[in-house]
Amino acid sequence: MVPISYNLRSLAVRKTTTIATASGIALVVFVFSSVTMLSRGIEKTMSTSGSPDVAIVLRKGSDAELSSGIETPSVGLILASKEVKRRSDGKSDGVGEVVVVITLEKLGTDGISNVQIRGTSEDVWKFRPEATIVEGRMAQPGADECVIGRAIRGRFKGLELGGSFELRKNRTLKIVGIMDAKGSSFESEVWADLDAVRSAFGREGVVQSVRARLSDASQYESFERSIENNRQLGLEVTRESEYYKKQSEGTSAFIAILGNIVAFFFSVGAMIGAMITMYSAVANRKREIGTLRALGFGKISIMSSFLLESLLLALLGGAIGAGASLLMGFVSFSMVNFQSWSEIVFSFEPAPGIIVGALVFAGVMGLLGGFFPAVRAARMPLIKALKE
Amino acid sequence: MTLVGLAARNALRNRFRTLLTIAGVSVAIIAFVLLRTVITSWNIAAEYSAKDRIASRHKVSFVISLPKRYIDTVREVDGVKEATWMSWFGGKDPRNPDNFFANFAVDPKTFLEVYDEVSVPPEQRTAWLEDRQGALVGSSLARQLGVKVGDKFTMQGTIFPGDWTINVSGIYTSTRKSFDQSSLMFHWDYMNESLPSSRRDQIGWIVSRIDDPGRGAEVGATIDRIFDQYDNQTLTMSERAMNLSFVGMFSAILKAIDIVTGIILFILLMILANTIAMGVRERTSEYGALRALGFSPAHIRFFIIGESTTIGLAAGLVGIAIAWPIVNGGMSRFIEENMGGMFPYFRVETSTLVLAMVLALALGALAGVVPAIQAGKLTVVNALRRVE
Repeated sequence: MVPISYNLRSLAVRKTTTIATASGIALVVFVFSSVTMLSRGIEKTMSTSGSPDVAIVLRKGSDAELSSGIETPSVGLILASKEVKRRSDGKSDGVGEVVVVITLEKLGTDGISNVQIRGTSEDVWKFRPEATIVEGRMAQPGADECVIGRAIRGRFKGLELGGSFELRKNRTLKIVGIMDAKGSSFESEVWADLDAVRSAFGREGVVQSVRARLSDASQYESFERSIENNRQLGLEVTRESEYYKKQSEGTSAFIAILGNIVAFFFSVGAMIGAMITMYSAVANRKREIGTLRALGFGKISIMSSFLLESLLLALLGGAIGAGASLLMGFVSFSMVNFQSWSEIVFSFEPAPGIIVGALVFAGVMGLLGGFFPAVRAARMPLIKALKE
Repeated sequence: MTLVGLAARNALRNRFRTLLTIAGVSVAIIAFVLLRTVITSWNIAAEYSAKDRIASRHKVSFVISLPKRYIDTVREVDGVKEATWMSWFGGKDPRNPDNFFANFAVDPKTFLEVYDEVSVPPEQRTAWLEDRQGALVGSSLARQLGVKVGDKFTMQGTIFPGDWTINVSGIYTSTRKSFDQSSLMFHWDYMNESLPSSRRDQIGWIVSRIDDPGRGAEVGATIDRIFDQYDNQTLTMSERAMNLSFVGMFSAILKAIDIVTGIILFILLMILANTIAMGVRERTSEYGALRALGFSPAHIRFFIIGESTTIGLAAGLVGIAIAWPIVNGGMSRFIEENMGGMFPYFRVETSTLVLAMVLALALGALAGVVPAIQAGKLTVVNALRRVE
């Protein structure tokens, strides 16, 4: 084997070329791992929103809370099902909620966007123990008060502790608390009193969704059957985890498609960059290669030495790119979810797997880009190489 | 041989490397054209929107409808030529519920007057106006759903429960780039009469055509002022502002695409600069010889920048020659059919091609600057001494 120090020194001697090639690869890896981190962020936000032991009941045919509607008498009926867990106070562990979307002015960019408002009862804090108030206080039941998720705080006009916005004419909601919900999509919502939202939107007597925690996740099938077989209700049951997975499908597919197309073009470009560099490395070092061969290094050794050099070059770039992408962890990304038409704030979720994957990706680019130049180096006739 | 010719000829010295460079840079150009097209197509709805149309919706939320009688009031507003109304229906194709398409309940007669870019053959137009269950289907959507004139089609309601059967009376095309060909419009009357009395006589939004495009803001303000005393206040925007606000919802993605586009150009620069730097290094002695023959440093710089610009030019041409047919051929049809709501018209703009060409040339020249300056600084003796 040709010693590694030979390759390392060769890289160091051709500083400019090494830097240019490595930074090309670094940028590719940066984009690749940022996109993967964002996809993971979307998945995490959505999957922490839904728990596997919670069932969500919507009107048959509507695939989102926004378009659903359930008459109040049905709510009691649903929550009285034997599969639903009872809390220590003896009540069923479930909530009936109203979900609406309002238009607010976006801060930072001009324009307006939609914010999701959830009208809910005070039971919600028992039903979703992961949601806690981190600043301010809970909203008073029956009052025109609300709490907002910490992800949308400051992103819209009026959405700040102590701020307020109009739910309809002469109906102002005051923000009294900031909520943390462990990074789930609830952090992009406003939670207000059920009746306040219902009356402001003329939806008295209906809720849009009923969520029920089952005494055991295995009870789901039996719960689903008992609700859906009651044709008069006209309702449909979904696992909450599945519901949120479906909600984010469009958005994450969009990001993934766009990201993969970009990553594909980038990697082709960077691979060609590595190839150019390695070909010229081989061409410039004909005499060295000849010397190495004369010293007794075999064709395989020469080939693997150049492959190794290309790999090192790519890994250098990969490490820089992956390192830079970790900085994206500090950035949050707000976009409209295609299903609910309201803004959800996502974050870039770094993970060891993503970094390893990015380095492997860089390594593959280096090996592919270096393969043909390495073959050329190995095939070079000894005499011709030395004659240069 | 002219000096320019010599500079261009230099690019062919290492044919293989030049070819690889052109390949790498043209991949970057293809990616650039693709991403630019995403951005320009996204903005097309706003750019080509009709200047004489304004839309009024509920002030607080798009999920709240307006009373139908509002249309009569709007029609009396000074400056309004004709007004029509529509409701978002939210129907799904039961055969393929995951395939989203836009569908509206409209008032056919006034709809065709206000949206005069919707073009339908006269006999289909008459058929639609006369058939209460008739519907107009966009040409892209018709292909996607596999329906033709005279077919029956059943939609499953999400907001309005039940199965809704409509007759395909006509297939429309659009003469305006901002109006997509992937929507379905059917009679609002048909929907309204089938609803329970509590949900009847509600409309989603009102679109008015005005006499003088310059007075849009003024007419809009008048409409909003009239309804300000009512319970349901309105928010009136020009069609352009409405489309812009839709684009604004995805501003984070647009910004990300912009950043990625910048990164692509940087990678392009790296690949080119690398090649040029390698070429210059190999030819140092030649430049010494040229200098000894009496060529000035300016000539040397000219040769180098000329060579890199030539490569940039060639790569730009190759990239465009590949990207243009790909995007305008298969891709545009696929995107307009499947994502017509977002990209009603997905084509490469001429301005994108010009920009890509200019950037290829400019970055080509830029890539040569540093090596050119360095080579220009070499003294004849030093350059010649490097002979290996």
